[in-house]
Amino acid sequence: MAKKLKTAKRTAKKVSSRAAMSVATNVDKTAKQRVAAITSAPLAVVESDKDMQAMLAVLGNTDEPIAVRLAALQALQAASFSVVAFESGRGDYVATLRKVATDPDPELRQRVLGILMRDKDGFAQKKLLDGLKDPAKALVPPEKALQLLSYDVHTDAYEVARDIVKKPPNDDAKREALRLLAADAKAAPIFEKVLRDKKELRANRQIAAAALHSLDPGKLQQQARKILLDKSDYDDIRATSLVALQQFGDDEALGKDKALLKSVKGFSGGKTQAKYKQTARQFLSKYSP
Amino acid sequence: MPGATTERVLSEPQFAALVDALAADPERRKELVGLLREDHPHYRQRAAATIVRMRGWVLLAIARGEVADDALIFILEELDTGVDPYLVAAAARALRSVPRPTAALAPFVMRALGNIRYRDEPIAFENYGEYAVSPTGTSAVSELLVTLRWLGPHARGILPELEPLRAPNGGLPRKLRIDVERAVQAIRGPAPGDEHGTHSCCGTTSNGVKSISSWPSNSRRSTERIESITLQDHKGELITFKEFFQGQPSIVVFFYTRCDNPMKCSLTVAKLARVQKLLEAQGMVDRVHTAAITYDPAFDLPERLRIYGQDRGVRMDAGHRMLRVIEDNDVLRRHFELGVNFIESLVNRHRIEVYILDAEGRIAGSFERIHWDEGQVVTRAVEMLKEKECGSRIQA
Repeated sequence: MAKKLKTAKRTAKKVSSRAAMSVATNVDKTAKQRVAAITSAPLAVVESDKDMQAMLAVLGNTDEPIAVRLAALQALQAASFSVVAFESGRGDYVATLRKVATDPDPELRQRVLGILMRDKDGFAQKKLLDGLKDPAKALVPPEKALQLLSYDVHTDAYEVARDIVKKPPNDDAKREALRLLAADAKAAPIFEKVLRDKKELRANRQIAAAALHSLDPGKLQQQARKILLDKSDYDDIRATSLVALQQFGDDEALGKDKALLKSVKGFSGGKTQAKYKQTARQFLSKYSP
Repeated sequence: MPGATTERVLSEPQFAALVDALAADPERRKELVGLLREDHPHYRQRAAATIVRMRGWVLLAIARGEVADDALIFILEELDTGVDPYLVAAAARALRSVPRPTAALAPFVMRALGNIRYRDEPIAFENYGEYAVSPTGTSAVSELLVTLRWLGPHARGILPELEPLRAPNGGLPRKLRIDVERAVQAIRGPAPGDEHGTHSCCGTTSNGVKSISSWPSNSRRSTERIESITLQDHKGELITFKEFFQGQPSIVVFFYTRCDNPMKCSLTVAKLARVQKLLEAQGMVDRVHTAAITYDPAFDLPERLRIYGQDRGVRMDAGHRMLRVIEDNDVLRRHFELGVNFIESLVNRHRIEVYILDAEGRIAGSFERIHWDEGQVVTRAVEMLKEKECGSRIQA
């Protein structure tokens, strides 16, 4: 009885998936109906080659409504996580993604390039780099290109990222360029400079602190101390410096650093925001004699 | 001019033109193999994806003529540990230009099939740097199956692994299942008359390819230039090359924590842990040192080294360390002739390399490119121990 029930459920599921795919690929249905059908049976594409090919055709067809194409992409991407089941369609999937990487729709392009870059696809890398070097060829904004390129530390984006840090087209691009450079040990001096620059955006200084911690913890410790001694620096940056010292600093040296402790004591009172005062007090309770 | 290199930096189209020119010239074809060395200046400051395109083009050029023995090891390396479909496909194609197919080649092709089947993608070989945007061309799996067909009866040994791929639920698309069937039929053909056996000992395939080297005592390179190089271990302790590597034999592997090929660095360090266990079982763990030295000392700081080793079961103590070079990394690299290159501070390509050092820290043996056997490595290290003991007895 239980076996019959199980079989009945499987059959019902198959029928339901087939029905969903039938609606999903039917150009006479509304976009809303088709998107609903796709989202109701997202793994239907791995149940038959025919359904896989149909969904790929929807994704690659620029005449299809964009909402339906995006839903198709989402379904295919979800199915691709079932690596074994997806194997037979993977080649066609990659070919379609590469074709759609230069699609007229910017959202679709961006999402597809993101999927390809997570797989470290050489085609996608080349397109993104070409776009950074020549804006006329750009498929996504520079900050997005940098973000996607950072998925692969072995990419060739470091030189262009350094140029963007020096001469950023916009704030977002500079931020993403800094994030990308966090993989390059030679970039530690850039991060020291950004961290100490009070005119720099605070978000960039926080990125610099994190990058310096990864690349050269000793340098972060040095800079963190200088920042804490500087009463004119921002509270959030001083708090980050406090945390860096507390978690990774030399306990013995910190306990003996009277100038530092005095500065932190000042930070723990006055006009400092409450949440940062607490951080300072924790530090003092650990290191004050 | 100070700092000038003797190698002109080529653009990718120029590199491709050079490769094509070498391939077309019978007198210069042999230079193609040199272009496959990881440390070749043409690969400096190139992204990993660029190197894939460049190396792939070289392999395809090699495939257009008869493959010489010195090229075969590079082809087998790509099949053994490669995870990029373009390179694996190019290597599979190049293998078919080997003058004599043998049974020893089949396991490499089958291993490549296992490595690449879930990463496969459409491949285009017609023009340099081309990426397929249509599924109608070839792919890595497709090329591997054609190569199995080429091997024919020489591939009998891998038939039990291949046959299940014919099944409709075997995972492969229908068009590739047809290729599997063709390969199976070819393999089941009449047995070859001139088979010389399978994989022979000492890391030599029956095609004569060597992945293991050894140097007798009187020909080993002096360590004079590297003795004073300072290394830092997983605990942050500093030690010179001489202090750690002289006085007993050592087994040294090279790796880096950001390697994204699980069959290279991660597996190499995990195998080092197994080597240590073998040494322990033989009562040798205190008499032979082991070390894993990072290619990426600027990023692989002590804490990273420690966690990487720990996660792979590596024993870490005074005689067994994860190490990074503090200064003069280039000097060490040149001494070992390491197969590695860089973009900025990052490794862009490297080979698998394991070294046996004698009691004076000199390179006595190496295992390169294709998978090495832990037992063989331990055996070679123990031989160095016996060499040291013989030397002591003679001196006494």
